[in-house]
Amino acid sequence: MDFLAQHQLYIVLIIAVGIWFGLYIYLFRLDGRLKKLERDMHREQH
Amino acid sequence: MTLRILLGVLLTLVIVAALGLPMVQHPQHWYEFPSIPGLEEKARIIFFHVPTAWLSVMAFITSMIYGIRYLRRKDPMDDLTSASAAGLGLLFCVLATVTGAIWAKFNWGSYWNWDPRETSIFVLLLIYGAYFSLRAAVEVEEKRATLSSVYSIIAAVTVPFFVFIMPRIMTGLHPGAKGDPDGAGPVIEFKMSLNMRVVFFSSLIAFTLLFLWMLSLRVRTARLEYHHQPKG
Repeated sequence: MDFLAQHQLYIVLIIAVGIWFGLYIYLFRLDGRLKKLERDMHREQH
Repeated sequence: MTLRILLGVLLTLVIVAALGLPMVQHPQHWYEFPSIPGLEEKARIIFFHVPTAWLSVMAFITSMIYGIRYLRRKDPMDDLTSASAAGLGLLFCVLATVTGAIWAKFNWGSYWNWDPRETSIFVLLLIYGAYFSLRAAVEVEEKRATLSSVYSIIAAVTVPFFVFIMPRIMTGLHPGAKGDPDGAGPVIEFKMSLNMRVVFFSSLIAFTLLFLWMLSLRVRTARLEYHHQPKG
């Protein structure tokens, strides 16, 4: 805790990495869902 | 899949390097950034602020290219891509404005100073805000696509002027303004060391990959919406 109090930039680093991971997981899941919908649409058309 | 994993790893490394590597007066090791007088820790913004501004330019140019393609081929998918790129461009433009304003508060003393760079990005936000107002105002699909394609071309023509030319021909506080030779700021000497350049260009590559992925997701979503909307 003392380390983080003295090096506040690391708190910023942890938050930034957290936000990036959250966004990355969201985009990855969205990509998967879109793929499924596209497959369904393709099947409907044929 | 490989590109997405590469993006995940690259941007994580960029964030860790940009915010985690120490900044010292006289760097002795490869992992130390030089401390720039007048900027100190605030110099780290360059790893995120410049790529977001760069992406907004790229997105606006992409929007123009697909606008031209729509006018030539009349394919609604080109219009969807053009609008999606403009939307992402506006998003990254807002991010560049917000990160710049926060930096300005700590470096110049206030969030907004009407510096030439701030004024030009504000005008760009207005121009692309108007693009979406135009799209929302026209209900007939073909007319909307044609009008917004023409508008995206005219709007993109102004982008190099507002981003690259105007801030450089006017004196201002922003690094790169007139009277600021070789990237040195008017208030600070700002030259990137080799390790800063590596992180900076890696950040540019990572942000570009992120933009391409987000654009592909946005276009695919818009295509699904388009095929499922009631016709007539």
